[in-house]
Amino acid sequence: MRHLHFVAAMCAALCLLAAAPARAAVNVVTTVPDLAALAKAVGGEYVDVQSMALGSQDPHRVDAKPSLALALNRADLLISVGLDLEIGWLPNLLTGSRNPRIQMGSPGYLNASQFVRVLEIPPGKVDRSEGDVHPGGNPHYLYDPRQGAAVARGIAERLAQLDAKHAADYRANAAKLTAEIDKAREDWEKRLTGLRGAPVIAFHKTTAYLADWLGFEPIAFLEPKPGIPPNPSHVAGVLVLARQRKARMVLIESYYNDREAKMLANMIPAPLATLHGGTDFRAGETYIQHINEMVGALEKGLAGSKGG
Amino acid sequence: MSSVSRRLHGALVAVSIAALLSAANAVAQESPPPPPSHAGSDTPDAGADAGASEVPPGLTAEEMAEIQKAFGGDTQQGVPSSTSAAPDGKPGGALPLSIPGAGSGTNFLDLSFILDIAAAGFSSKEPLQGGAHDPTRNGFNLQQLELSIGSVVDPYFRFDANIVYSQFGVEIEEAYGTTLALPHSLQVRAGQFLTRFGRMNATHPHSWDFVDQPFAFSRVFGAEGNRGLGVELSWLTPLPWFVEVTGSATDATGEATARSFLGASGDRVLSPLDLQLTGVVKQFFPLSDDLSLMWGLSAATGPNPTGYRNRTDIYGTDLYLRYRPITEASDTLLTFQVEALYRRRQVPDDVLTDYNGYAQLAWRFSQRWATAARYELGTAAHGKGGEVVTDPLDPEWTQNRNRVSANLTYWPTEFSRLRLQAARDRAGWRDEADYSVFLALELVTGAHGAHAF
Repeated sequence: MRHLHFVAAMCAALCLLAAAPARAAVNVVTTVPDLAALAKAVGGEYVDVQSMALGSQDPHRVDAKPSLALALNRADLLISVGLDLEIGWLPNLLTGSRNPRIQMGSPGYLNASQFVRVLEIPPGKVDRSEGDVHPGGNPHYLYDPRQGAAVARGIAERLAQLDAKHAADYRANAAKLTAEIDKAREDWEKRLTGLRGAPVIAFHKTTAYLADWLGFEPIAFLEPKPGIPPNPSHVAGVLVLARQRKARMVLIESYYNDREAKMLANMIPAPLATLHGGTDFRAGETYIQHINEMVGALEKGLAGSKGG
Repeated sequence: MSSVSRRLHGALVAVSIAALLSAANAVAQESPPPPPSHAGSDTPDAGADAGASEVPPGLTAEEMAEIQKAFGGDTQQGVPSSTSAAPDGKPGGALPLSIPGAGSGTNFLDLSFILDIAAAGFSSKEPLQGGAHDPTRNGFNLQQLELSIGSVVDPYFRFDANIVYSQFGVEIEEAYGTTLALPHSLQVRAGQFLTRFGRMNATHPHSWDFVDQPFAFSRVFGAEGNRGLGVELSWLTPLPWFVEVTGSATDATGEATARSFLGASGDRVLSPLDLQLTGVVKQFFPLSDDLSLMWGLSAATGPNPTGYRNRTDIYGTDLYLRYRPITEASDTLLTFQVEALYRRRQVPDDVLTDYNGYAQLAWRFSQRWATAARYELGTAAHGKGGEVVTDPLDPEWTQNRNRVSANLTYWPTEFSRLRLQAARDRAGWRDEADYSVFLALELVTGAHGAHAF
């Protein structure tokens, strides 16, 4: 009997320990670090933010680690990219989280794609002979800072709804962030005017929003179809096209193996620009810093000698 | 214990489960309180606040009390859209049948078909392949055609089913509901499901690293693995690391699903002790960004048909180590997986014990290619005195059996898979080792399924 009491007391103490710090702020979990950076900028001191994927990770292929289910279990708000980007790993975690607050349709679940002008929505019927297409449209919208600002405003509204006490702060922060993004954008656009109309080769179909923003033209992709690794005959075709159209650069995300991209860049020849797929949120990077770094990489590519 | 009181006991368990479910429903229905009017939200119908029982900001305690009073006792009144039962006056649910909009990204039912076929060659006339989805004969084998169905039923339940078509019929492998809105990190599954015993048992061939099932499961539980009709309660503990505690009660009959328990003998259930009870603790340790460890402890107990109150107990442990670099571009995935099962059976005048297990190493070395190796061991049944005795379920199993398998896998995409596998099976009671080779093709079509860890 005495043993039982001890065990019960230990359990109670552990429960208290684990539960105590959670109430202090709105606990936000995001699927990708760009969303985490935006949520932190909007929520400031009133939110704790955690990203499930790292910036160095391909957001299509994240392991559904049980520790992520644990993070979701304790979340007040889950923010996802949507458009089926996380379909391979989020649904099981969401069910396993046992957290009714963040289930789809609850106020604690925010699909950020609703704030975005979605591009590349496939017309008509979709099947997987096209590769791993996203039937809802291209989900890589956070490359465009204009979309990022729209998402930040959406996050602010949802935070205001969940934590009405600080609603004004959230809206003010979102307005401040939007102003900062707009200001930085002028500079970025000026630095990258040279990209306007430029033919560019990319690895995966992540460039739609970047192209929409900066006005370059993605003429071909190293992946023959989304999710299918490059093969020699396809790369040869891309090379011919790239030379014909005088491609200005080759773009690749840092989470992809860049062997083929490097080779292609050397053979065209054209500079290779490696973009970080996501904000390094864990190291304290902000969304603006992340876009700024990306702009820097593109600028370097633009200036870089051919074959670089 | 008289049979009447046993029956009462069973009824009590059923009633308390029902009460738990309905309590959860009520809690879930209370949780989204009306939105604060000044929130100016883009989704005006959504409720607010993290703490469900607290007064939401913008409301006084009196207003909250009034709301609670108005809903007191009957939380279903006036909220027809959020009840699991059909609302009053609209028997059968008057909602129009919605056709999932093509291209809108919404769908009410996720359907997918998984086809597994294999060409096989065996050196033995009678191969020792125990799994229901294993290739078992020379030539072409239809391992399975699995229809996997998943859907959220309402805010409180989701539904999952796996219907397996074989050449000889259709089988409901799994069909269960899972609660989504129970409080206190609890979750109930009810229906027909694979128990969470160990690591492999709850999974389907699609997520296996080998063409066939480890023989430990077909020997201890049956060709289909351990499953049954029943109910399962699991709890995600509030500890700082992932600790999940699961308990289930399932029916203990079935030659292919519970052969160490009642098996094919159709004894009547007179008390909860006539069911198979399973308990599992799973822990997860993210050792680093790249390396993670999952550890499980499982136990199952149930009656066996060899005599009055004779029982079978099975204990298992499983370890899963996964290395996948995510801090830099890499296609590498290295996994190591071990499971060991210890079985103890009471039979007339003796207690039989044996060990079964496997260890496997899988290495994906590029986006499309992987290789894997597996070692399996199953001992003969030993009696109380340590001597080898005749196993009533597998009378020929009088010595150790070990099997070594190795394979090479190629994925054109994540929806298709080709696998070439070879094995050497040394069953001590046979004159010589058996050899086998499989070439298996898997095709997955339909909804994009989510991968479990």
